[in-house]
Amino acid sequence: MEKTLNRIHPVSDPEATYFLQVSWEKDLGAGFGIILTDGQCAWTGTVSEADVSREAADMEMDRKKYVEELKKALIAGEESAGKYNFAVSRDKENMECHFSYEKNLKDGSFRLGCLKLHKVSSPADVVKELIGYCLDCLGRLQAKNEHLQKENERLFSNWSDAKKRLEKCVEAKEELEADLYNRFVLVLNEKKAKIRNLQRLLNEAEESAADA
Amino acid sequence: KAPDLSSVNKVSSVFEDIEFCVMTGTGKYSKSELESRIAECGGSVVQNPGLDTYCVIVGTENVRVKNIIASNKYDVVRAEWILQCLQHKMLVPWQPAFMIHMSPDTKENFAREYDCYGDSYTADTDVAQLKEVFSRMKDNKMMLLEKIAELEERYSWNSCQLSIFRGNSIYVDFYAVVNEPGTKIHGTTLSIRALELRFYGAKVVPYLEEGVSHVIIGEDHSRVEEMKALRRTFGKKFKIVSELWVIQSVEEGVPKNENQYLI
Repeated sequence: MEKTLNRIHPVSDPEATYFLQVSWEKDLGAGFGIILTDGQCAWTGTVSEADVSREAADMEMDRKKYVEELKKALIAGEESAGKYNFAVSRDKENMECHFSYEKNLKDGSFRLGCLKLHKVSSPADVVKELIGYCLDCLGRLQAKNEHLQKENERLFSNWSDAKKRLEKCVEAKEELEADLYNRFVLVLNEKKAKIRNLQRLLNEAEESAADA
Repeated sequence: KAPDLSSVNKVSSVFEDIEFCVMTGTGKYSKSELESRIAECGGSVVQNPGLDTYCVIVGTENVRVKNIIASNKYDVVRAEWILQCLQHKMLVPWQPAFMIHMSPDTKENFAREYDCYGDSYTADTDVAQLKEVFSRMKDNKMMLLEKIAELEERYSWNSCQLSIFRGNSIYVDFYAVVNEPGTKIHGTTLSIRALELRFYGAKVVPYLEEGVSHVIIGEDHSRVEEMKALRRTFGKKFKIVSELWVIQSVEEGVPKNENQYLI
């Protein structure tokens, strides 16, 4: 069972804040449950797999595409804020509540779905459950964060260690090369000095031969 | 303390009529062992070098050996030479590697055949001999990168894969403030690029000065404008390239054309 909790502001009363929890198994297309609360009252309802198919058919929309839209509207939360409208209308006794969700278009909007939610007898329990869910999420994220941070530290320390070793290799290579080239040049220059000396002897011999 | 060598069996006449003075033995062969091996091959052994002594044989150097060297009268030869003579059953010619010290005469003879590092003027050398010659050189100056670049150019070794960036003087943009090496940004991939540049022959410099051939830029382009402004004041223009230039040159083993990587 998966769940998300989002804050929504109904178009009729943008000042008001409602908390919308959507719960589903595997995929929204297979139906989902809704809990809506303003902190004092709570309402609940479900959308079945058949409801999803019917809505998609009514709209003459590809079912897959429709489910994608549902996801964006009900699950995505902050990032899709403004792109979707929510309407909440309650009766006087707060017994029933009409909840509908629509996609915002440039020229108007079209309704993705609507359902009748029923009042929950003990809203406090629902709110408790929602807070509990939030705390669980928070705990999980904190643990994950800590784990990632440790992992990151470990990776960084491995990286610096490898870098230091690489630095040593580079230094050793540079030194070896400079040293070998230096020795090579010394030996090479000895050979050249010898060649110069032989050239000098040859010139001297030629000169003395010419003199004679 | 002269050993009694009268009872040795003569096995060859390699050292016939040659007088040796063995000073010390090696870790493997003691002084007396060396002496009897010499005697077996027809050589004679004395305890102090004299006028007829061919050479002084030394395994490990000590004070007495130093005094003999200081007298500058005798050729002082490593015991390895004797062992090679025995192995090859012939009088192996002296090579610089065998000589601990040379008398002035021998030195002059050697100077005709070998340079002052012991490399022959006429005989071809090989890896082992050259290694040996190099190992006996005491001058441990390091050659400057610029000189290495010239040398590689001269002998056409500059196509070597380890010399991709040879001759280049490169500034790597990993200082938060240009030309302030104290502000180095640690932990970036640019520090690996700098090591790669060095490994493949470049000179990596801490200051962006006249003479720099390339500037390497990472993901952060915030200092590029400043460097371009600096470049306008330079006589010799450097190229500003992305670190991809380094990565791809190394991958392909050839210096890639910078123009594809200009920033």
